Amino acid sequence: MKTKLEEINRNIYDIKNKDEYEFKIKKGLTAEIIEEISKQKNDPDWMRDFRLKALEVYNKLELPTWGPDLSELNMEEIATYVKPKSKLNSSWDDVPEDIKNTFDKLGIPEAEKTSLAGVGAQYDSEVVYHSMREDLIKQGVIYTDMETAVREYPELVKTHFMKCVPVSDHKFVALHGAVWSGGSFVYVPKGVKVDIPLQSYFRLNSPESGQFEHTLIIVDEGASLHFIEGCSAPKYNKVNLHAGCVELYVKDGAYLRYSTIENWSKNMLNLNTKKAIVGKNAKMDWVSGSFGSKISMLYPMSILNGENAKTEFTGISFAGKGQNLDNGFKVVHNAQNTSSVVNAKSISKNGGKCTYRSLVRINENAKNSKSSVSCESLMLDDISISDTIPTNDIRTDDVEFSHEAKIGKISDKTIFYLMSRGLSEEDAKAMIVRGFAHPIAKELPVEYAVEMNNLINLELEGAIG
Amino acid sequence: MSKNMLEIKDLHVNAGEKEILKGINLKINKGEIHVIMGPNGSGKTTTANAILNNPAYTKINGSIEFDGEDITNLKTDEIARKGIFMSFQSPEEIPGVSVTNFLKYAKNKITGEPVKIFAFKEELKKYMEELNMNPKNMERSLNVGFSGGEKKKNEILQMLVLNPKLAILDETDSGLDVDAIKTVSKGIEMFKNENNAVLIITHNTKILHSLKVDYVHVLVDGKIITTGSQELAEIIEENGYSQYK
Amino acid sequence: MEKLQLLNETPIRTSKNFNINNIKIENFEFPETIKKFSNINIIGDLSQITQEVSLIDLKYGLNEYLTNQVKTRANQKLKVVVDNKTNKETKIEFNFDRENLELVDNIEIEANENSKATIIIKYLTCENIKAFHNGIIRVNAKQNSNIKIIVVNLMNNMSNNFLAIQNTVSKDAKLNYTIIDFGGKYSITNYHSNLDGENADNRLNTIYLGKETQCFDLNYIAELRGEKSNINIEVQGALNDNAKKHFKGTIDFKKGCKKAKGNENESCMLLSNTAKSISLPMLLCSEEEVEGNHSSSAGKIEEKELFYIMSRGFEFKEALKLMVKAKFNKILENIKNEELKTEILQEIDTKLN
Repeated sequence: MKTKLEEINRNIYDIKNKDEYEFKIKKGLTAEIIEEISKQKNDPDWMRDFRLKALEVYNKLELPTWGPDLSELNMEEIATYVKPKSKLNSSWDDVPEDIKNTFDKLGIPEAEKTSLAGVGAQYDSEVVYHSMREDLIKQGVIYTDMETAVREYPELVKTHFMKCVPVSDHKFVALHGAVWSGGSFVYVPKGVKVDIPLQSYFRLNSPESGQFEHTLIIVDEGASLHFIEGCSAPKYNKVNLHAGCVELYVKDGAYLRYSTIENWSKNMLNLNTKKAIVGKNAKMDWVSGSFGSKISMLYPMSILNGENAKTEFTGISFAGKGQNLDNGFKVVHNAQNTSSVVNAKSISKNGGKCTYRSLVRINENAKNSKSSVSCESLMLDDISISDTIPTNDIRTDDVEFSHEAKIGKISDKTIFYLMSRGLSEEDAKAMIVRGFAHPIAKELPVEYAVEMNNLINLELEGAIG
Repeated sequence: MSKNMLEIKDLHVNAGEKEILKGINLKINKGEIHVIMGPNGSGKTTTANAILNNPAYTKINGSIEFDGEDITNLKTDEIARKGIFMSFQSPEEIPGVSVTNFLKYAKNKITGEPVKIFAFKEELKKYMEELNMNPKNMERSLNVGFSGGEKKKNEILQMLVLNPKLAILDETDSGLDVDAIKTVSKGIEMFKNENNAVLIITHNTKILHSLKVDYVHVLVDGKIITTGSQELAEIIEENGYSQYK
Repeated sequence: MEKLQLLNETPIRTSKNFNINNIKIENFEFPETIKKFSNINIIGDLSQITQEVSLIDLKYGLNEYLTNQVKTRANQKLKVVVDNKTNKETKIEFNFDRENLELVDNIEIEANENSKATIIIKYLTCENIKAFHNGIIRVNAKQNSNIKIIVVNLMNNMSNNFLAIQNTVSKDAKLNYTIIDFGGKYSITNYHSNLDGENADNRLNTIYLGKETQCFDLNYIAELRGEKSNINIEVQGALNDNAKKHFKGTIDFKKGCKKAKGNENESCMLLSNTAKSISLPMLLCSEEEVEGNHSSSAGKIEEKELFYIMSRGFEFKEALKLMVKAKFNKILENIKNEELKTEILQEIDTKLN
């Protein structure tokens, strides 16, 4: 039983607007270019200096000696800053027509009305729309674009910006530090519970360019938040680069859920860095769906610094033709009674490659900690690749650690069972794949679960007929 | 319209290189209950799988007609949509797909008509009560973590919901306690009417006690060696298969 | 004196920060001149043993320096040709003493078609000395052969043990490998099995037991190429004091290995809060119709069990020994030579005292 799965039109995600912009920095990466970006963005001095230092670090660091081949990335060919023809608006009516149309088709304004507490929308390098419910503003919640935060909340930003993810982490974090633009800043004050999600959506329209948004979220003691991040881009022939950075501070007793549906176009190199510092009795949950990109290297990380800190990671990657998705999760247990639960799944088809790469480190002082990891990989044909590369580093005895992984295909017996109930072979396979992805879908708000199922159907659609 | 529903002629089937069925002939009419009995390894399960054209088995010779149409080489789902249902000896587990969603989807595929969710759920609930099933199972993943008995009841539930013309029950009674066997028999009685038929495959006779069986076929080494009425099953219960070897 | 750095590279690299791609040995003095080694004892059929080993061609190995040392300066070369159709046991014992401090051995085992054999290779330090072992063991299990290899490292904790293993397993051949890895300040093993033929079957069972500052680095690689080939790796270990273990296990389903199966189970008992266990159980897959599973676990001894045993009058240490031995028992059952088994059990007791 073999099924041909064709590449499909990603319809709405692939709509290209004309490459119109107010300002597009020339390609490449030099101190002059960084200075120019800084000038365009009206950076305070400290930020300009920060960028220039990050550039120095970038020049010193090597490319990773592991994982996917990044040799096709030529920074000389990438424009790191593209300013759209729009200022920041708080009403969709003020957003230029073609940009608004794009977000309309992606369903963002509609979702805002029905199921979100606030929305941010970034187009190329700048945020074009930001808005949040009145009652949250009154409770002191801050949700704004990163540039506004640098200007209006300098102390909060200075003490947190790239402290969780230092520029020395790796080459693309250093790059990010030098050229970052856009992104969201969220502060939830002590004890405030934001009952419905905030969402930021990132759209990269301009060809041969990069998106380097910075997301900084501080959930103060006892507060809680669900933040959703969506991303997409139309497909071009040359590579685009995404090197965003997400820094999350989950203070004592706080809760943060960070959900991502990533659907970058298949010419995107997605080299994103996400990290959370989790305090005492706090909990950090990650939900991640990775569908797009040509190459993805994405390993969200939780650092459990406080006693009883908890983290959960639920993620799925779906790699089709020409895609190399090297994703995973990292967790470091640094305190007593901490716990981590990982549930990672991947699907490879049509020559796509999925790699689960991870780290679990339980340090000496993390007595009575628990970690349990489960990975499952599904191979939909014999030309695809699925690798599992987990590192488990246990440095103390009083722990419960377990790791399980499975690789396999859909069993012929299962297909026969479903076909005996009247489902065609393609329907049977699609049903099994959706079921496989269900544990992730059920962690998402309904609209996003629907979007994810649509993406899966879209990916499998070539099978029908 | 002809009473004749299923007709198997001189069916030879291999599993891998090995010949399992060596010329099966079987005719089932509307309104009838047939039983195939036989020792382990005689080809009972192969017969059921061959009717549904499981690609794990190869048909070497012979034909299968259903409602006057040759279905020998149709795909499994096409055969299912013609109205043949098979209850599996070991039903597959499908993580992430709830019983309700699965059955709703399958019902739509079989009938080709949209399924109205509320009425459907009511119907499902009613059947589950009849089969002493926990209604909470409706929202659980199909067969995942079900006990042996729950899985078998779930197969009967699917039979009732999908309402086929011919139901093949492959060892549905095996591994069940007395109460569960009674429930399964009850399910068969609920299903059975003059317009459909049932083929029960079993190696013990407990399930037959409460059912009115029309024909009992004895399958040994890939061939039906004798056919009789319900009494034949009782004789076998008494003496085993040794006399046929 | 050679001071070398990096050994035992994994077939696929992961992040450098995870410190698992290789093992770094600093300020280690490798012996420059290799003296003769003559304290060797062979029990079994000597007629099938010669010194005519073939050229070494390793795909992995520990590193170039150590491989070359065996290639050019081996002080023991043994080739075992197995023709027997019934299982016979051959035992090769290398005994280190003050006269025999350095062993560089090149062992080649050629199991002809349909042959059967059990071969035990034991490394033992007899005196309180600092011994050095660097060896390569190659096994070629030809069609339908059935070979059992038991490698036993009973060196002391001052000594160092470096071992590279390479196997080819052909059609319908069965290779059952057991490694008892107890001794060595460093004990570093590279194991590479190439399951070439249809139905090729390789089982690898390892137990290790570390104390003081012992460091184990196990780099096991199985490449499945034959249809319906099967690899099963079971690693059970316990670490006391400041002992460290790196386990790197790779099951690589190569294109064409349809219906192949690979299982890997690694479990580490941490007997002290300063013992460290790193594991990297990799599954690499380029073929659809396969079944691959791995599981890895680490933690301290089950306290309820310990309590139960102690409630029956066992002292803590005795209870601990009992539990560790129970954990190892499944693997020890593979060893039919009672004398050897007793020796291993005694060593477990000694190490846990």
